Amino acid sequence: MENNKPLFPSCFKTSSKPHKFCPGCGHPLVLRMLGQVIEEMGIADKTIFMVDIGCSLLAWDFFDLPTTQTHHGRTIPTAVGFKMADKEKIVIAYVGDGGAYAIGLQHSVTACLRNNPITTIVVNNTLYAMTGGQLAPTTTDQEITTTTPIGKSEFKTLKGPEMLKNIANPNAFLARGSAFKPLVLKQYLKKAIETQLKGNFSLVEAISACPTNWKTNAQETIERMGELEKIFNLGEIK
Amino acid sequence: MKNFLMGNQILAQAALKAGAKAMFGYPITPSSEILETWSNFCLKDKSISILQTEDEMAAGFGMIGACLAGKPAFTATGGPGNVLMQDAFSMAEALRIPTVAMIMQRGGLSTSTVIYSQEEVRLTCFGGNGEGFRLVYSTASLQELYNYTFKAFKMAWKYRWPTFILADGYQAKMKGEVDLKDINQKLENVSPILKAGVNLRNCYNLEEEIGEIIVNYADEYNQVRGELEEYEEYQLQNSEIAIVAHGIVAGAAKVAVDLLRKEGLRIGLFRPITLRPFPAKAALDYLSKVKKIVIVESALGQLSSLFKDELYELSLPIIEINKPAVGFTPKEIANTIKSLK
Amino acid sequence: MIKILFAGEGGQGVQVAAEILAKAAFLDGKKSLYIPNFGVEQRGGVSLAFVTIDDQAVVYPKFDKADILVIFSDRSIERIKSYFDQKTQVILTPAVSQKINFKVDSLIKIESRDFPNKTWNILALGKVNKIGKIVSKEILKETLIKRFTKQFEKDQKLKELDLKALES
Repeated sequence: MENNKPLFPSCFKTSSKPHKFCPGCGHPLVLRMLGQVIEEMGIADKTIFMVDIGCSLLAWDFFDLPTTQTHHGRTIPTAVGFKMADKEKIVIAYVGDGGAYAIGLQHSVTACLRNNPITTIVVNNTLYAMTGGQLAPTTTDQEITTTTPIGKSEFKTLKGPEMLKNIANPNAFLARGSAFKPLVLKQYLKKAIETQLKGNFSLVEAISACPTNWKTNAQETIERMGELEKIFNLGEIK
Repeated sequence: MKNFLMGNQILAQAALKAGAKAMFGYPITPSSEILETWSNFCLKDKSISILQTEDEMAAGFGMIGACLAGKPAFTATGGPGNVLMQDAFSMAEALRIPTVAMIMQRGGLSTSTVIYSQEEVRLTCFGGNGEGFRLVYSTASLQELYNYTFKAFKMAWKYRWPTFILADGYQAKMKGEVDLKDINQKLENVSPILKAGVNLRNCYNLEEEIGEIIVNYADEYNQVRGELEEYEEYQLQNSEIAIVAHGIVAGAAKVAVDLLRKEGLRIGLFRPITLRPFPAKAALDYLSKVKKIVIVESALGQLSSLFKDELYELSLPIIEINKPAVGFTPKEIANTIKSLK
Repeated sequence: MIKILFAGEGGQGVQVAAEILAKAAFLDGKKSLYIPNFGVEQRGGVSLAFVTIDDQAVVYPKFDKADILVIFSDRSIERIKSYFDQKTQVILTPAVSQKINFKVDSLIKIESRDFPNKTWNILALGKVNKIGKIVSKEILKETLIKRFTKQFEKDQKLKELDLKALES
């Protein structure tokens, strides 16, 4: 029945499907929303997609868009350099919470400070997934990770968009959505790209699930996501 | 057109004339004037751009970003900055991105001096977790800073190995005469690397996947090295002793050869200009006729290691004159060699 | 070939004096090479400047023994002990208070007279050129004026003072 086939954006690369993300991972949900936005805005022929090292690297052949992996934490500066050289392109930096807020923190802060017109999507699953589930800047206090076996409370949990709000340009766009509320997230992604088209910085954090490293079953994953959506404020931060 | 300029200013001028469109950099002595000079150029010329980044990693990756978009971009650094930039250079090596970096060597070991050394040879040639698939020019004078910058951009975009001008803090800061001549050169093969249909990765899953790529790169590197290698030989035709030196030390060594020849010593100089790929064939040809080799460098055997690695067939006595982080005047080289006999 | 070493502290105008000399030589049709040599402090640390002038291209920026050595401060003396021999002509600016007992054939102490200390580097420059017969007075004067265009625009008196120092 032709009508029941899901409508995939034309920028989806069929040869790389099925994708390599874990069952229950938030990435494919985020990427599907991004793909739809690109399709609906008609910008596939001028979008440049850059991914970090971490689970985001698995998206290197997800789209039929010019894509490059970078080094860990260096996606944003590469995107900045590319956009400087070719302002006509829409440049997207697709990274994890480690790439955005730990090893790449100074690049996130500086790109925001400079109001570089790139769009950063931070897929936040509160730990370092690809390397086996270690502490991340967004790990919550009670959360058990392989390097915080009894949780942590000595230092805060990083709220990225809130932190950047203080140094962002008035016309920048900062928001936090959730992979499990995809249609709302989709609106943020669209607004982020519109922000880039107007020459300003945008960053959208998407709370994401990692059942593999959370060691949660489906029900527990949904519950955990519900908790995280309360700890991390969803909405337009700026 | 003769000018009186500082080495760093000359590098910026050469980059502009050679067709560079963007510079990314972080201030670090002794290279900072390159960034400053370029930033002045950007005031008048709106077709070029500059970004002073938050650190050297951002500079290196910003440069990569611009190259991916098809714009010749470059950076300048030295010392601890060179260390940090290996992150970016490693990726450029893996993805064959035509970056151009001007390395103004300063004292080795940590922050050290801001002045001079030849202790970044190993780092610039083989830094990062790579295999040294790089093109490295070691310049010896203000005029060469100019001439080889043109060459660096041309060869980077043509052959697609990360390319380096390996100079030092003396060449950076010295002021003298240079001919900013018009070098008729149009960069070939300049176009966007990241374009429709291109998905680049530097992360692989299984051993054999990357193993094959590395072997292919090595084959290609070996095939083209003859087109990349450069050297200079001086008075080696009837020499018994050969000095081997690079960069500004080679400049001083050349004068030392003249001084020593006046005193009857049959001595000459072999100067590798490209340290990668090392001009091994030429070295073998010239040096197999001498009786002794003296390697002089402002480091602890970094040039010497490169030399021995490439010229293991040459079974001649080698004497190393090492002065890490300290320069050699021509007279000093001559006196040291005399005292060896 | 003539080799001049200027030695003083950051802030004394050591580098400016050396640069003017090197540039003047270039404008006078000679080959010259100048290099600064100092540490990381912006002020106060030892500041050396090497200038080599010749009829043919100068290859290496530093040298073993200076033909002319100009000392701007007491604190730089320790650093330049290896750079002179008996033949070196040594010049001391008014800022040098320490008693110098180098074994050299020529040791000149410049007196400050009415010149303020911000012009002492120019006094030294003039003396170096006089002793070394390096470049024409006219070219040296022009090079100095060009170097200080902005400063002289703001302060005509400074221009008169500097030119007087150069001649004296």
